[in-house]
Amino acid sequence: MHKNALQDDYIIEAEGLTKTFSGFSAVRNVNLKVRRHSIHALIGPNGAGKTTTFNLITKFLSPTAGCIRFNGEDITALRPADVALKGIIRSFQISAVFPRMTVGENVEIALQRPLGCSYHFWQSERSLGNLTERVDQLLDAVGLLGYRNRPAAGLSYGRKRALEIATTLALDPEMMLLDEPMSGLGHEDVERISELIRKVAAQRTILMVEHNLSVVAALSDNITVLAAGQVLSEGPYSVVSQDPRVVEAYIGSVDE
Amino acid sequence: MTDLLGVPPALLFGQLLVGLINGSFYAMMSLGVAIIFGMLRIGNFVHGAQYMLGAFGAWYLLRLPELLPGLGLPSLGYWWAFFIVPVVVGMIGALMERLFIRRVYDLEHAYGLLLTVGLAMVIEGLFNVAYGAAGQTYGVPDALKGGINLGFMFLPIYRAWVIGAALVICFGAWFVIERTKLGSYLRAATENPDLVRAFGINVPRMLMLTYAFGVGLAGLAGVMAAPIYQVSPQMGQSIIVTIFAVVVIGGMGSIFGAIVSGLMLGLIEGLTKVFYPEASTTVIFIIMTIVLVFRPAGLFGRETSSHTVADLSSGRVGSILENSRLWLLILAVIGAALPFVVYPIFGMKILCLALFACAYNLIFGYVGLLAFGHAAFYGSAAYVTAHAATAWGLPPEISIFLGICVSTMIGALFGWLAIRRQGLYFAMITLALAQIVYFYAVQSGWTHGEDGIQSVPRGRLFGFIDLNNSLNMYYVTLAVFLAGFAFVNRIVRSPFGRTLKSIRENEPRAISLGYHADRFKLIAFILSAMLSGVAGSMKAIIFQLASLADVFFMTSADVLLMTLIGGVGTMLGPVVGATIVAVLQREFASFGAWVVAMQGAIFVLCVLFLRKGVIGTLEEFLSNREERRHSALDEIKPMDRSPLSQTAEADAGGVR
Repeated sequence: MHKNALQDDYIIEAEGLTKTFSGFSAVRNVNLKVRRHSIHALIGPNGAGKTTTFNLITKFLSPTAGCIRFNGEDITALRPADVALKGIIRSFQISAVFPRMTVGENVEIALQRPLGCSYHFWQSERSLGNLTERVDQLLDAVGLLGYRNRPAAGLSYGRKRALEIATTLALDPEMMLLDEPMSGLGHEDVERISELIRKVAAQRTILMVEHNLSVVAALSDNITVLAAGQVLSEGPYSVVSQDPRVVEAYIGSVDE
Repeated sequence: MTDLLGVPPALLFGQLLVGLINGSFYAMMSLGVAIIFGMLRIGNFVHGAQYMLGAFGAWYLLRLPELLPGLGLPSLGYWWAFFIVPVVVGMIGALMERLFIRRVYDLEHAYGLLLTVGLAMVIEGLFNVAYGAAGQTYGVPDALKGGINLGFMFLPIYRAWVIGAALVICFGAWFVIERTKLGSYLRAATENPDLVRAFGINVPRMLMLTYAFGVGLAGLAGVMAAPIYQVSPQMGQSIIVTIFAVVVIGGMGSIFGAIVSGLMLGLIEGLTKVFYPEASTTVIFIIMTIVLVFRPAGLFGRETSSHTVADLSSGRVGSILENSRLWLLILAVIGAALPFVVYPIFGMKILCLALFACAYNLIFGYVGLLAFGHAAFYGSAAYVTAHAATAWGLPPEISIFLGICVSTMIGALFGWLAIRRQGLYFAMITLALAQIVYFYAVQSGWTHGEDGIQSVPRGRLFGFIDLNNSLNMYYVTLAVFLAGFAFVNRIVRSPFGRTLKSIRENEPRAISLGYHADRFKLIAFILSAMLSGVAGSMKAIIFQLASLADVFFMTSADVLLMTLIGGVGTMLGPVVGATIVAVLQREFASFGAWVVAMQGAIFVLCVLFLRKGVIGTLEEFLSNREERRHSALDEIKPMDRSPLSQTAEADAGGVR
């Protein structure tokens, strides 16, 4: 048990996060706390450092300064795959599927990982046992059951997003990081994916970067607004949307 | 006179001068390679041959009256050559860019490297046919004859001139590229060709001129080298691998880094000759290794965090050509019948090469890493096996086992050093590392230098199978090949192989799912090295010989060619490719010196016209046919209504 019950309430705590690219600070002294079992959105105008923050938390980039704690444990020095093994699974802005594998195989790759046999080059694929049932469940949950044997490359953008979520869910992560889950989607898909996110958030924590403010307003419990690499404002939508600094930062850049 | 650091000063300064001279050439050459890589993303392996062209150009100009009698042409000396030859070599470069290199800009780095390897083989092969291995001499120009006595050493004027001229040329080129408007256009054209095109700049011409400029520099280096070294067809081949190592040390894409490292490494090489002559040929490669450990991006390079591997594989899951059991059976039947059709020794050669190519395909086809140093694994295993059987008198199974152990260990070391790098960088590093093994084999006593280890006893396998009987030997080889073939297929179709595939398809995503991509790649690399070792060890026993050819980089190029001709990332490709190459080599043998040029031509033709290889092309044909049949069926079925709307069916990332 942790001594501090209040600290326990947060699944992710980033302190003083800074990333400098040859003189230019993309992110400066960002403090970010994400409450357990909440949907937390990271918003801000283009170039505010949202994706950089994302990459820092998942260790796809190493911070120049600052530290990141997950469940109270310092994960600043971990490698990206280790962060994933801790239970933080991220998505990517451009769709992250394995294009030349079938939809079913995409999910299987994720299901295979906890089995611990991924290094077994001497075993046949059959040693994986029957994953079919789990695959079908997961694909059904995102409405892709009918596409099981299709190559992932042939899916529409919206379905690729859904497949990505199914693949992520296959690992049953404690925390999901979604990088612009709605980008490039049509209206109908936005509603579907929103619904899906709300559904999967029941037992998890979600941190997402999103431009679509109506989605952010509808989904998120808490919002952090970034501008020019720094935290501008924080709080639920009702608070943040009234903050004059946020309004100012967004003038001319809100496309909704 | 007193000794400095325990060596006579004349020797020390003499070697420092030699080092500085070599360094000047390294700097000029790596500058060209760095420019071409930085701007065109081409690893210009033909740079050495172009340097050789420069030296021969100077020699031709001198002998104009003899070469073209009747035209009354004068003999043109050094100064004429100094200005004419670089332009002519540059123009030859422009022509090569126009005809060949332009066609691979948009393709994976691997193809650019292969194409230039092929071109180098053609050029050097042809010169070898014309002039043999013997070198021609070229006199020092009259104006630069003689020397100055500096008190502590004698400085020949020509050498001083080379160093001075090289420095001026290198820093001049650096200035043009980094500090002028023309240079900024060039750099912009490589960053974003479309945008630069929109400014009204002719990008293709610019790239052609860049290539010509880099090649012209090599030509100029050749002219300057003619009075110092012997003008021979091999002069470029021996320098190009060193140049690649210099570029890696300096930092890929860093022009300044290439110049500084070139000079510095020449000096270090000179010093090594004084203090530890045994290491002088390998010191650059060893420095490269150390630099890679501590500064993976090179001394002056910028760290890039690209996560892309080349997906060149053309195999298709579920195709009849990928049915491992079926083909294992077919190959077993063909293999069993083969010694009754061809000489067993030729059959064994095919099997050995096929196993080697299967091993190589594992890393190139299924991981997507362009390894260019597999000769190190093949050759080291061959040497160790040959030595164990000959000098220690060990039975064949133990000798082979030892050979495989050594190649696996070398594979683990090389893989650990190189695996974090991708594309061309990976190729250059593996090539340079393999060169350490080569020079070790050249110098070491137990490898018997040029002779190699001959008359290796085949012995009795497990004490009762007499391998001196060629049919026994053949069937043992067949069994080993089939086991290796089956093992590779098992790896590809294992949970491990699936993960490899996901890494090849989308590395960041695989990492985000919790897979340590580098570990998977490293394991695959080690397995590939191990299987190459199996092939090399078998080769030593079969041919009763381990020689320098086994560790020479042409062996690495050969295995690449086999895999490419057959079909990268296909199950049967390496086997088919090895058979084709073995047959071609046998047929070409009667052409003597032409072999290298012909093999080079095949390389070039393959890259230009047969990129998917024999099996890949066949695969494409089969899958197209199947697709047509499917689409015919689909038209009959009603379209399904799905929950998600079809927003962008043909979005980016889809396959065509």
